[in-house]
Amino acid sequence: MSAELYATAALPQRPGYLPGRAPSEPDVEPRRRLRVLERPAPARRPRLVYGLVAVAGALAIGAAQMGLSILTTQSSYEIKALTSQQRELSWQQQILADDVAGLSSPQYLAANAASLGMVTGQTPTYLRLSDATIIGQGKAASGTSSVSALAKAAVDNALVARTPLVTNPSTSLSGGIVATAPVAEAGAEGDSTADDATTSTAPTTESATPPAITDGLPTPDTH
Amino acid sequence: MTTRATRSPRRRTVVALAVVLIVLIAFVIRLVDIQVVNANEHVAQSQRYATGTSLTLTGNRGEIVDTDGTVLATSTVLYDVKIDPHLAIQGIKKRDAAGAIVKDADGETVMVGWPELAAQIAEITGQDAGEVTAIVDDAVAKDPNSRFASVKKRVSTEVYRDLAALGFSFLAFDPVETRTYPDGAVAGNIIGFMGSDGDALEGLESLQDSCLAATDGTLTYQRGADGVRIPGTEVETAAEDGGTLQLTIDGDLQWYMQQLIAEQVDRYQADWGGIIVMEVATGKIRAFAETPTVDPNDPGASDAADRGSRLMRFSFEPGSTYKPITAATAIEEGVATPYTTVNTPSRMTFPNGAVVNDSESHATQNLTLNGGLVTSSNVAMSQFGAMVDPQTRYDYLTKFGVGGGTALDWSGEPSGGFSLKPADWDAQTYYTTTFGQAFTVTSTQVASVYQTFANGGVRMPAQLIESCTTADGEVITPDLPDPVRVISEDTADTVSLMLENVFAQGTLADDVKIPGYRVAGKTGTAQIINDAGTAYKKGTYFTSLVGFAPAEDPQYVVLTVFDEPKTQTMSSANRSVFKKAMTQVLTHYRIMPSDEETTLLPVTG
Repeated sequence: MSAELYATAALPQRPGYLPGRAPSEPDVEPRRRLRVLERPAPARRPRLVYGLVAVAGALAIGAAQMGLSILTTQSSYEIKALTSQQRELSWQQQILADDVAGLSSPQYLAANAASLGMVTGQTPTYLRLSDATIIGQGKAASGTSSVSALAKAAVDNALVARTPLVTNPSTSLSGGIVATAPVAEAGAEGDSTADDATTSTAPTTESATPPAITDGLPTPDTH
Repeated sequence: MTTRATRSPRRRTVVALAVVLIVLIAFVIRLVDIQVVNANEHVAQSQRYATGTSLTLTGNRGEIVDTDGTVLATSTVLYDVKIDPHLAIQGIKKRDAAGAIVKDADGETVMVGWPELAAQIAEITGQDAGEVTAIVDDAVAKDPNSRFASVKKRVSTEVYRDLAALGFSFLAFDPVETRTYPDGAVAGNIIGFMGSDGDALEGLESLQDSCLAATDGTLTYQRGADGVRIPGTEVETAAEDGGTLQLTIDGDLQWYMQQLIAEQVDRYQADWGGIIVMEVATGKIRAFAETPTVDPNDPGASDAADRGSRLMRFSFEPGSTYKPITAATAIEEGVATPYTTVNTPSRMTFPNGAVVNDSESHATQNLTLNGGLVTSSNVAMSQFGAMVDPQTRYDYLTKFGVGGGTALDWSGEPSGGFSLKPADWDAQTYYTTTFGQAFTVTSTQVASVYQTFANGGVRMPAQLIESCTTADGEVITPDLPDPVRVISEDTADTVSLMLENVFAQGTLADDVKIPGYRVAGKTGTAQIINDAGTAYKKGTYFTSLVGFAPAEDPQYVVLTVFDEPKTQTMSSANRSVFKKAMTQVLTHYRIMPSDEETTLLPVTG
């Protein structure tokens, strides 16, 4: 015991060591540094709630994962259904696109216009709005077209060669008419029911013109 | 101090460790081998043997659009209908309205025979029932176990869906990506077409394939037993669509010019004809029409020789359309003005022995330079040309594009040019070069010469392609040569005025006059070498008429050509086609008439 005390006393004392005691009092016996430990507290029984939380958490994770997996699987069936619907629709779109292909071509439009008696290739007359001047010939079109877009249609288009003209369903760019063309089908049905020309052309005209505007042009509501 | 007792366990440890290490290294090597070295092979194997499926994602070939964005070429899908003759010949079980299999009195399944099925197929495909029946009958006759025959190739989606709705398990449909050309033969000569195997064969389809072609992608995934994709197994390399190619061509104008030239070629019984419309300020070609023209929807309907563009590939001695270059050279070199006169008989023998004739005999006149152009006198132009030395004339012709090709870079487009250098020119060539002979040019080059005159002496490179817009939106404009100043603006204006006088005072004046507009231009009746290449053909020519309007502010150059018109062999055949073409251009672009009068220059002095 005493040996330990000496040893302790021989240790260099740093300033501020053992606060409360001035370093100028080296002869004072240092306080005992060893003490008896308290008995460790008896191990408490683990609380049940932690275990429950852990297990519940694990279960929840498992359930969530399963739920997500079910949802993913479910949506992959939905995707399959939608994909097949999309395929169906793209077929439909393709069929419709095939039907109208070539109808916007200049030779088809010009042939339609020509069958209405319209002429092209005349020098136009311009009306200048600023001073109401008439620039140009100021005469009506002469009545002869510079090109015969219908009678001598020379720019081929295999897509519409045998498609009946909208303005004159009895003819086409190539002169002949193919019965399977969509517009011709309408005409052919009419022919099968009656030989009357009006019934055969009526459905054609119906399908070719846009729906009539009954309430005037659409206008925005303003406040 | 090591004893035997301590040494033995240590050695054992070392040995065990070494063995473990060796095994570990072996595993690592194998792992690298599997995961890195042969990874692709194993992935492929896993997909082949396991439930994986790999799809090729095809990108769409890009569209070709005109200058307004009107689609001239686009991609579509057609289907090849195939049949399994072995199954088809057995027929199918007959079902009643409710879908139940019909059995006869003996409890045997009633079969619907092949001919009846063939009739159903034929009705949809539009073939003859016997024809379809024969396809399978023939295949089975050749090989009873035949599993493949083709019913019809390239049917539309509508036919395909109708056939699929029949529910015949022995029919199969292969989608084939094909091209469709909504405007048919409009610009077919330059758009070109694709082969049935999807190769670009002709025209821009072929020349601009790098812009238009798509890059295929792949999609691999695993499937469950019911065919549903297993989520999370998809690996996709996206396909890249081709770019959109925009042309400088105006589709509507192009159609008009094609219709016009077709009618006129028919009228004058020419071998073929063409019209080029070029924008003066930019050199952009707005119409490049010719007849015959292929319909790219059905190239097989045209003769092989008619499927390409003659207008691009034909080169010829231009003749009188190049006389204005002689005039420009003389003016630019300061040796002549429009008023300078030369004594012009209808036939002249020159000091070096060369003999030059005018196309029609006339009394000897004192023609001005303007008059030389107005009357298109070879004799007068020879004398004006001779005022400048041959090398200078050669240099000017070269600067005007002779022998330089065009910026169009067309396949098989000749660059033309001189057969002889000026030093080697013989007595005749010395003079014929002044009126467009002894060198060849293409139609596009002729149009460019007049574009140069109309544009104040600056030649813009001929341009057919506006841009290529890639699938991700990047716009790539073609690399074009820089504009070239060929002659001074003053000279160009003077030549333009003389060209206007050609239209105002020449023999063609009444036929080409467009009321209200000032038009300038020049005719050309070029001799053509016979097929043997030995002499000029007699009495038949390559005729042209080229001009621009409105002369006070030139906007468009129009060139019309006929190859060997028969009912009217000279360039007078081109008058009505030129007038109609120019009228349409002025109308199409809403160019207002000026009602100004041409300043007339003297023809004789």
